[in-house]
Amino acid sequence: MNASMTGERLRSSLSHASDASDASDGPLAIEAVDLVRVYHTHTGVIRRRPLDVEAVRGVSFDVRPGELFGLLGPNGAGKTTTIKMLITLLLPTSGSARVMGYDVVRDTTEVRRRIGYVFGGDRGLYDRVSGLDNLRYFAELYGVDPAQRDRRIAALLELVGLTGRENEKVEGFSRGMRQRLHIARGLLHDPQVIFMDEPSIGLDPIGARELRQTVKTLVEAGKTVLLTTHYMFEADALCDRIAVINDGRIVASGTGDDLKQAVLNRTIVEIETFGVAPEAVDRLRDDPEVIAVNTEERDQSQILLVQSERGPEITQRLLGSLGDTRIGKVVAREPTLEDAYVHLIASTTRSDGAERAAALG
Amino acid sequence: MALSAPRHLGDGTMSLPRSVRLIWWVTWFNVRMLLVSEFFVLLTFVSPLIFATLAFFLFRLGHSTGGQTLLYAALGSGMMGVWSTTLFGCGGAIAWQRWEGTLELLVNAPTRYDFILAGQTFGAVIFGFAGILMTIAWGMLLFGMPLTSTFPLLLPLSLFAAVVSLGALGMLIATSFVLYRHANALSNMLEYPIWLVAGLLVPIATLPAWVQPISWLLAPTWGMDAIRGATLQSQPPWFAIGMCFALAVVYYFLARVALRYVLHLARRDATLDLR
Repeated sequence: MNASMTGERLRSSLSHASDASDASDGPLAIEAVDLVRVYHTHTGVIRRRPLDVEAVRGVSFDVRPGELFGLLGPNGAGKTTTIKMLITLLLPTSGSARVMGYDVVRDTTEVRRRIGYVFGGDRGLYDRVSGLDNLRYFAELYGVDPAQRDRRIAALLELVGLTGRENEKVEGFSRGMRQRLHIARGLLHDPQVIFMDEPSIGLDPIGARELRQTVKTLVEAGKTVLLTTHYMFEADALCDRIAVINDGRIVASGTGDDLKQAVLNRTIVEIETFGVAPEAVDRLRDDPEVIAVNTEERDQSQILLVQSERGPEITQRLLGSLGDTRIGKVVAREPTLEDAYVHLIASTTRSDGAERAAALG
Repeated sequence: MALSAPRHLGDGTMSLPRSVRLIWWVTWFNVRMLLVSEFFVLLTFVSPLIFATLAFFLFRLGHSTGGQTLLYAALGSGMMGVWSTTLFGCGGAIAWQRWEGTLELLVNAPTRYDFILAGQTFGAVIFGFAGILMTIAWGMLLFGMPLTSTFPLLLPLSLFAAVVSLGALGMLIATSFVLYRHANALSNMLEYPIWLVAGLLVPIATLPAWVQPISWLLAPTWGMDAIRGATLQSQPPWFAIGMCFALAVVYYFLARVALRYVLHLARRDATLDLR
């Protein structure tokens, strides 16, 4: 879909936040205070033992109306659990949260009227009927005015670039088309706050770029968007503010520039290796000048990202620590937001895995 | 312990026309979904034909070959199919929606979830009743079964009463599927015993006395009685029709109470997204 055309279509098909009953100078769009969520599960098959897993451990943040707020973190950090508490699908174990001034525990219907929920992946659609049937069905569930339903669906189909494909069965849709249909579904009732849980997961680069453009346009139309992602560049390119979540806690928040400050005085040495042994990586980590080492797997090689305050000066020593490992390219560069993210995650991940399953009971 | 939350079924301010429209839309959508499912088409339209064929031959072996007996067997076989479709259509549909990831979206819609569930179960029951027509046509074509009705004007009301009571019972059963992933074990267990206990093929009077009170609590018993009463009996089936509606009211209110609790547990225990 054409990005600029998309913006015009979206702006015309969505009511602006200031038109809505909850004015932007009213309550915060989202307010989370000390949210905690513990999952009660068990281990073992024959001798089942109860186990409490803390997925979210005291998350607090707020999002202003019209803001695009990013919740950034690795898999299992607590992003989806946080979103599900905010959209009323999960009860918090403790803490509180409000969306457009309504409590997510008590005022579920009021919250649900004002939110849209879009998630990534292949699920959440009826595969064996058409895209149009999916949208008509959800329009009824979301209480869209019957007199406006078809016009609204047509506008949203045009917005997401599915006009002309709406009568095809969803099971034949590509991953990108499904994601676009998800977005149209989430916007059917013109929500004020849109929760997007890793919407770009599995999309090809062009699909992901189109999605980012759609998200931008939503914000330009006055919508509040909470976006979760584990793609740093996506959060950096889109979000007004970012909160980094790891192990169920917010470990940093602010603008992209704020987060970069944490690693501004560092240098990153990228070392391309072929078949590097874990012991060699450990030797790098043991170097007193090295702050963090992260490994990225490529097809045939591994890229070691070594953070230190004196990168270029210790490069030879770093290469020496790798012993007989076959070395490719070596580059020293300034830190990026991704490095800041990696640093934050690495420095806040609990070392003791058992602690992840903190027994409460 | 999760924070205490009010237990309700969603938007309590929905108008009657909006509620009726919602139920109608969900019913229609569910019928369409069942129509594109090979499993349900086989279950609803082919299984009763096999049951009916077996029944016709069994009755023939027992030297009961009158037209009334054949119609009795055809209606019973058709109702067996209706019960199977109700059971799997109500429960299985929720299990399948959980798998597809749409259950969360339905529960999270700003509307009444009991109406959504009612539409889904009525869709399954109405779909199942189409199988009865197939069974009757099968009996007429292959076994020369006559199609008669002693109270033709009461037949539509009997069918409607049976649909309503089975739909309400389906709704009650479906609540367990909202909470538990493996509730299909329950539905599998309930299929054959209900065929027997509800008197779908053999009269309830032939069952042990202690079973009969159980039969009286079941919608298929009275639904079958109402339909057979309107087609085969000499007395109008008013009592059976009344029992269908009375049981439907009881089932519906039990389902509502159960659903409030189940939705609360689902939010507390995070079971909606489990596959």
